[in-house]
Formats: sequence, C-alpha cells, structure tokens
Amino acid sequence: MILGPGDVKGDVSRGADVVIIGSGAGGGPIARELAGEGYSVVVLEEGGYFTREDFNLDPADSYMKMYRDACQTITLGVPFILLPLGKTVGGTTTVNSGTALRMLRPVLKKWHMTHGLTDIAEEELNLIYGHLEEFLFVKRADPEVAGKVAATFLAGAEKLGLSCGWLPRNAKECEGFGSCAFGCPSGSKQSVDVSFIPDAVKSGADIYTRCRAEAIRVKGGRAVGVSGYFVDPVTGRPDGRRIEVEAAVTVLAAGAIYSPYFLLKQGLANSSGQVGKNLQIHPATQSVALFDEPLGPPKGIPQCCYVDEFKGEGIMLEGGTVPPEIHSLALPFAGRRNASLMTSYPNMGIFGGMVSESDSWGRVVDLHRPGYRPGMLYTLRGRDVGKAKVGTVLMAEIWFAAGAKKVFTPFAGHYELAGPRDLRRMERSRVRATDIFGMSAYHPLGTCRMGGDPEWSVVKHTCESWDLEDFYICDGSVIPSSPGVNPQLTIMAMAMRCAGFIDDRLSASS
Amino acid sequence: MKAVSRQQLQELLAAYVGEPEGLPPIDPDGQADFIAEYFAAGAPELKAVFFLCNLSLRILSFLLEGRSFSRLDPEARQELLNRIIASRNPLIRGIGVLPGLPLLMSYYRRPDVAVPLGFDAAALKKESDLRVVSRDRDLPPKQEDAS
Repeated sequence: MILGPGDVKGDVSRGADVVIIGSGAGGGPIARELAGEGYSVVVLEEGGYFTREDFNLDPADSYMKMYRDACQTITLGVPFILLPLGKTVGGTTTVNSGTALRMLRPVLKKWHMTHGLTDIAEEELNLIYGHLEEFLFVKRADPEVAGKVAATFLAGAEKLGLSCGWLPRNAKECEGFGSCAFGCPSGSKQSVDVSFIPDAVKSGADIYTRCRAEAIRVKGGRAVGVSGYFVDPVTGRPDGRRIEVEAAVTVLAAGAIYSPYFLLKQGLANSSGQVGKNLQIHPATQSVALFDEPLGPPKGIPQCCYVDEFKGEGIMLEGGTVPPEIHSLALPFAGRRNASLMTSYPNMGIFGGMVSESDSWGRVVDLHRPGYRPGMLYTLRGRDVGKAKVGTVLMAEIWFAAGAKKVFTPFAGHYELAGPRDLRRMERSRVRATDIFGMSAYHPLGTCRMGGDPEWSVVKHTCESWDLEDFYICDGSVIPSSPGVNPQLTIMAMAMRCAGFIDDRLSASS
Repeated sequence: MKAVSRQQLQELLAAYVGEPEGLPPIDPDGQADFIAEYFAAGAPELKAVFFLCNLSLRILSFLLEGRSFSRLDPEARQELLNRIIASRNPLIRGIGVLPGLPLLMSYYRRPDVAVPLGFDAAALKKESDLRVVSRDRDLPPKQEDAS
C-alpha cells in the first residue's frame, strides 16, 4: 500500500527482500517487477503522493507540491540554469512531458566502445523497449488533439523541408489538457505513479511517502538495508519518526542529482572517485512567436512534436504551449513591453530547443547548504552555446516560415526578431554563455555512471555497485552519456534489466 | 513577505507587470501572500537573492538614473528594468531577471487574469474530471479476430 505520514504511527522497523530509495523511472519499474515475482518490496519516497484529483492545472501549486524546492533548483555556473526535478511518487515522470523515445542507435555503440558496456546488447534493449512501449501505451501524439501551436510549428518546418513529426508519448486516450508538467489531470499520461506503482502495490509492495533515506546500512562489505526518517510535508524537516528497513538487496534510485549527493554525504561506493562527476544535462532555450491571428484554444499537448533535422549534431527541437504564468517568464521584457505581449497571449506560440548531445560536464557536490540540498556545478561550454544558438535560430526560422510576425529569443542583443534580416544578424553574431537571458535544462544523467572498469565507473552493467555487495543504483545517474533524446524510456529499460539481475541474485541465495 | 517592504513590492510589481490592457490591476496584498508561500516552499537562498536583487536595483537606479527607484515615475522604472534586462553583463541582467520570476507568476496565475487570456484552469479541470482513462487494453474487434 501507499502510506502517507498519517498512516504511520511512531517509528518503523521492518524487514524486506528489497528496499528501494525513490519511486521514479528507476525505482518504480524495479518495485513492480520484483513485487510481481513475489518478493517483499519496500519503497521510500521523499515526496508526497498525489493523484489526478490533486492535479489542478496550476503550475505554481504543482511546483510547490511536486517539485524539489518549488522548482527553484538552479545550477551554479555560467549561465545559471534552471533544472527542474520532480519530488513525488513517480518522480519526475509525474511532471514530465511524456515523451517516450528510444535512445539513438549510435549511442549504444559509444557505450560499448567508450564505457565497456558490451554486455548491453542492442537486441536485448530493443525487446525491453518494445515491452515498455506496450505497457505504457506509447504512441505518436494525435494531431487532432495536439493543438494549433504545434500544428503551426510543424507546418513551418515542413515548408522548410526539415525532418519533423509527432512525438511518441506514454499517454492513453490523451485529450490535450495541456498540463503534463503539472500532473496529468485526466490520468492519460502513463507516468510511473499511474503505471508501475499501482501494479507494485497490487503485488504487495509498500511505499512510504514523505520518508527520506538517511544512510545505507553496511555490514561486512554488504548493504543490508536503509535507515531514514519521515519529514514534515510543509517544512520538509524531520518530524521525529524514524524508519529502519533490513533487506537482502538495497537499491538507490533517487535520481541523478540526489543519488550521488546521498552517496557523497555517506562516503559510500566511491572508490572510483566518480560519484557526482560527469553530470550531463540537456540545456534548453525557447523561442516565442507572435502571430496576427489566434492559435486556437488553450487545449493541446504541451510537447507533442519535434524537429530532428540536426539530431546528429546534438540539437533537438520539441515543444508546444504553456499557461500564461510560465509564458510571461519566457518574454525577455518587463513592464509595458511584457504587458502588451501578454495581452496577445492567444496569438503566441512557444517552442523549445535542447542540446541533446552536449560537450559540457558538471558535478554534484555537497556544499553544506541549508536543508537537504546538493550543489550542482555546471558551465555551458562554447560549442554547446553555439548549438543552443543554432537551435534557437532554427526555431525562429521555422516560426517565420509558419507566418509569425515577430519572434522573441533569450539571447541578449537578439531578444526581438522582426524578420529574416534580424535572423541573419543573429546567425552571424558570436554569442557567449553569459548572453542567455534564461536557460532551463532537463534530464540530468551520468553522476554514478555504469561501465566496465571499476576505476572509471560506479556501477557494473547490472547496476550493482563495484564497491558494495547487494547494493544497486538505478536511475538517470547510471546512464553514462546522453541517449540523444529524452531519457525516461532508457532509464526504465535499465531498471527492467536491473530488476532481472536482482531477481537472479535473490533466487540464487534462496 | 519580509524580503522587501510592502511599498517596495508594490513598486516592483507595477514595474514588472505593467498595466496589461483589459486585465485587472495588480493586487500587492494578495500577490504578496503567494510570493511568501512560494519562497517558503523553495530554497532559502532564493529569498536572499530576491532581497539582494531589489537592493542592487535601487543602487543601479542611483547610478544609471541619478535618482532613487522610488522617485522614478512608473514609466522610467519600467525603462530602467528593460535596460538592465537587456544588459550583456550577466550579473546586471540577473538583477533584473530573477525578481521577475515570482512577481510575474504571482500576477498571471490569478484566475481573473488568466481566464480573460483564454486559460481557464478551473473549466479545464472540470472537463478533465469527466474523463475516465483505464489501463485496460481494448480487445481487438471481432472481425480482426476472424481474419
């Protein structure tokens, strides 16, 4: 069952076959698979449990309830980058856009050659992807419900002859309520909280919410469970109750920022010195277009189409619409200029471009910030700044081809483009990381990377730690490099594999 | 909202939001409640950064305009903000950009503002509540079975 703070009286001390820290794209599938095999599974989730009844299409409300630090998680470096992280049952999948893509083929070859991961075979991975796509009802976004913003953007891309299309999404019978990133109010999006977790619970798994893991318990070089404490839903501070779970196998699946932070705090599983290093993200910029005519009602799928003409160069365009309170933040103006554009909100479209193959690397560190918060150090390198610019120019070009009157970009000196002349000027200009007005990023990866060499990686291809027996790490942190696309399906695929290895391990010992 | 005084918050809200035509005026008290809640839910540093940005904005007002921010007329405040936001110096630009996050959100999330812009969250919520999406798979039609 899913246990909230009110369901637990006093301290908890119990045993289980498997204890999992985190219920997102890594922890959720492992919980389902192993509970389904008859193992007793306990999941500790720091966030709360919310259902479609709670999802009210209010971005700020959702930020405060379901995102870490109310969606104010920012990297330290040049430029400052907003890196939203989910903190709820289902993890970031509950508040992502539902894009469900397989990783690009050349990436697996790179993993084989550079990371020694030859045990991950393409055929095996494709089988898992196929299974996941069926389980999560993955299909291409329906153009009928996608909304006019997406249709307009795609029309522009087609006019320019660019490779583009509708994104595959893990959504069933989606009617485009436009709120994927704030919790799907219709229950269409098959995020982990509505797919894997209910199955895990049906098979007997217990999910403790508002419960923060504090330490892995270690005995004789083996992980033997987790200790933690419950937190107050409002303040996030310990509420005085503790939890101890003794388990044969311990899994850390707290995401690519909090998993390494957790290990660094405990000084665990880091003989390679790689924990927290190799942070990769997908930095993104946006372009806002103003049209003469309205772009239809607010309904639509926020992220439903793509332009992948330059995916080989590490640039992917994906996007759609956002509510007014988020839209106003994308405009690089204040006062009257912001106000006059916002009154044209129905005539505006927004689209995003991400650097899907980045040359920049960051780190997760323990900066001893107040509360339970790591530092994320990340600076965008020159080549990635160039990619961000190319992506933004491309989006502007597409908008103009679709009939936009003006396009607004986040690059200082090029905030407002009135036509092809401004576009050419931006194309020719040299931009720096410091020129970007507001940048966000998604999909943190790589901070406990898997690999074939214990000196350069934190876990084996099975996701088991090189250092500690019976201890597995499985979330975005083990993905050694960007899959070239949104990574949720790849993280889930690695979790399915990991569940298989844990099953082998548990059946061998019994 | 202790990061800035009520008068300063009113000045900032007016300067960031402007007066969107056909939309209701800013509501400093109501919006202050949201901003306080937003800061309380987030990283403690953000509130400090907001305070520092407000202070720096007032120093920049003296340096660039020769007058305090409070003494500038509303139009001049907005112009100053836009100059700061357009700066290619990231630190100066940040002073203008960061406070906009809670200030603009606090205004455009108000239903009396969002609905006239065409975004009626309550109506969409009502409509979405009527939807029933099960995880059951549809059985293929009989004809397909036969073929």
